[in-house]
Amino acid sequence: MLTRFNPIELNRSIRFHTIKSDKFKTNLIGIYIQRPLIKKEATKNALLSMVLHKATKQYPTFMEINKKLEDLYGAVMVSDVAKKGERHIIKFKMQLPNKKYIENKNILKEGLEILNEIINNPAIKDGGFIREIFQQEKENLRDKINGRINDKMKYAVDRCVEEMYKDENFSIYEYGNIDDLNEITETSLLDYYKKFIESSPIDIFLIGDVDEQRAKELINQTIHFPRGSIIDIPRENITKDVNAIKEVEDNLNVNQGKLTLGYRTNIPYESNLYEASVLFSNILGGGPNSKLFKNVREKESLCYYIFSKIEKFKSLMLISSGIEFQNYKKTKDIIISEVEDLKKGKFTEDDIEIAKKSIVNSIKSLTDAPNMLIDFYYAHTISGVTDDIDQIIEKIKSVTKESIVEAGEKFKLDTIYFLNSEKEGR
Amino acid sequence: MAIKEIYSDILNEKIHIKKLDNGLEIFVMPKRGYTKKFAIFGTHYGSVDNKFRLSGQNEIIEVPEGIAHFLEHKLFESEEGGVFNRFSKLGSSVNAYTNFNSTCYLFSCTDKFYENLSILIDFVQSPYLTDENVQKEKGIIEQEIRMYQDNPNWKVFFNSLKSLYNEHPVKIDIAGTVDSIYEITKEDLYTCYNTFYVPNNMMVFVVGDVDIDETFSVVENNLKESFKKLPGNVERIIPNESPDIKNKKVEEKLAVSMPLFNIAFKDTNIDLKGKELLKKDIQTKIILDMIFGRSSKLYKRLYDNGLINENFEREYTFDTSYGHSMIGGESKNPEKVYEMVCSEIEELKNKGLDREDFDRIKKKFIGQHISSYNSVEFIANTFTSYYFKGINLFDYIVELKKLDIDSISKRFYEHFDINKSVLSIINPL
Repeated sequence: MLTRFNPIELNRSIRFHTIKSDKFKTNLIGIYIQRPLIKKEATKNALLSMVLHKATKQYPTFMEINKKLEDLYGAVMVSDVAKKGERHIIKFKMQLPNKKYIENKNILKEGLEILNEIINNPAIKDGGFIREIFQQEKENLRDKINGRINDKMKYAVDRCVEEMYKDENFSIYEYGNIDDLNEITETSLLDYYKKFIESSPIDIFLIGDVDEQRAKELINQTIHFPRGSIIDIPRENITKDVNAIKEVEDNLNVNQGKLTLGYRTNIPYESNLYEASVLFSNILGGGPNSKLFKNVREKESLCYYIFSKIEKFKSLMLISSGIEFQNYKKTKDIIISEVEDLKKGKFTEDDIEIAKKSIVNSIKSLTDAPNMLIDFYYAHTISGVTDDIDQIIEKIKSVTKESIVEAGEKFKLDTIYFLNSEKEGR
Repeated sequence: MAIKEIYSDILNEKIHIKKLDNGLEIFVMPKRGYTKKFAIFGTHYGSVDNKFRLSGQNEIIEVPEGIAHFLEHKLFESEEGGVFNRFSKLGSSVNAYTNFNSTCYLFSCTDKFYENLSILIDFVQSPYLTDENVQKEKGIIEQEIRMYQDNPNWKVFFNSLKSLYNEHPVKIDIAGTVDSIYEITKEDLYTCYNTFYVPNNMMVFVVGDVDIDETFSVVENNLKESFKKLPGNVERIIPNESPDIKNKKVEEKLAVSMPLFNIAFKDTNIDLKGKELLKKDIQTKIILDMIFGRSSKLYKRLYDNGLINENFEREYTFDTSYGHSMIGGESKNPEKVYEMVCSEIEELKNKGLDREDFDRIKKKFIGQHISSYNSVEFIANTFTSYYFKGINLFDYIVELKKLDIDSISKRFYEHFDINKSVLSIINPL
């Protein structure tokens, strides 16, 4: 019911991936443009993802673009940036209903044409993006960067990462920073765009009820990227000696304290211990059966949410929770001792089985969700893995207790971050 | 115990329905080729149902705010150990949510579906409450409430409800307050459980690549002796709500970078049922899109003037006894946004809504509604929510296709009354 074809190289560093299935009501196209995560580009990438879909040569206003999308039975077009390790990904996605269910039989081609218009045919004037549009988006990005504090849960995680990787590119915020933003002009952004569009590795995904050959023809007819010399994006460095644990505290006028702990796992995704590190994190804080949920929440009533997760590319484990201010030390101590217990192998075969099943369940579930599935395949593509879903599941299933302990022994606590109140808290 | 089928040719989907003698309705929607199976066991009981009278009794029972949500937390406790553990062992994930009108327990799995389904049906029928475990939950829920207190979107939303409504319990926070949850006792919880967790107030919805008959029989075989209809009907006491709003404006300060706002319109055409209620829902959502959507003149004016950014949303929320439209976002000047919203509405009332806009937005709604059937979560949650409002989800696309501009215009004049609108703002500290 779901067939993934091998990627085809359409042009220099443009890979095309087709996933065919007749079970969906939609076709979804995802275009992923890859850059290194570096300070001088990050803000520009974020700004591009906001400026490009506001105006094109054929559709000179945002209103006209949206009228066209609505007319295509509410085609959904989104663009955004994402951080994958020390790579910065600029994503464009378009979802359209499949022609089987509607009266427009040409909808996929029309949708692809707009997508190409947005990415490859921006509205420009006097050697720059249209000034009014550019200025507006510059202000919106400024608000977005300043608006980081609005989502306290994410803010506490981002701040921990920022402190932990102070001297590394991984600390760069995916939407950039105000100082760099101030320097960007409509012409400097267009200059950057020209370089960006011809030199970046690009992956195009199409998932829906379309034959591979037909899909390839359609893409070739509609999507036209200029190609120059393609940049090489280096693999991020993941190891660093931790001499002392950093404790960082910020103060904001909040009702709940947010605690985040960052561990360096020291296990690259290429390692055969990688899957074991994922299991370690899952047993620790992967769900309602995890050690943290059971002990910090159910036993001690210290929190409502607590979880741990692995960042694959930078080999990082993050633990995050929302607590009463005065419970900072108590919660921190319990979390650290739970991690230490796991390192010593204090968990059962049952815990391992449950963690494996939960991971396998999430991976299998992806095959019903086109949007998540292409993100998942893309993450594998950039890590150079060509395994299909079944092979990925096999790797998870074959992890042993010994390897989980072996993986855990490499984990080093690096940073403890606490978002505290402004009042006298603890 | 008749089994019937409903089929939608537009969607190419079918739902099988079995209604049991005890009043429980079971729905199965096969999704061939899907890996994931998803099931909901829901009760028509939410945060608004905190005052009620049992059949044949004079006394009105009033329970502390947040009790439906508290009960949702506690049903995960069982005598033999945690419910989470039973699902985890099968590799599936279980969850629940409480909203204004319902409490739903759900799981999704890719393996051992019928075992999972048995556990779901079983645990929802097996409350295990002790003074101790009720007490223990209070600390957890307190942290959940505090988490929401730091969520500016949630605050701006609830502040507008508190300004729209004078008496209606939709203005009460779903989780209650830190004070109200500490009042909750084991006895209160059992009273609510015994009143609302009864078959004729509940439903089961299953979607995925499953066997229809086996699904029906697994549900039936797991129903307990104790799971019975209550004698007579429970009367839900909803106070009379004036059509007028309570406060025109509400402001609060939080640690945010720029002001957030919510403009809400109170619905005065309430107490509709079935298809009439559904039509009102679709009409209102289309109007909201026509006036405030990305292709609207107002959106362009607000955006070009730097008064809104991409976080500019609209929605219509309703049940049989209330309804409201909300337009929300972030702005340096929410007062100005409100002013421009009001003048746009006045202008449109003079000029009338545009037919071309209507045709285009209708097309968008058709395409997006069909597309949403990709998601088993969407199907199950939306079906359940509409079911408790007396609406069949498959009627949505049929009624949508039949809509014309005249009914839209009529609804527009009726609902978008400036005197029935409020402005809620969260300001930076």
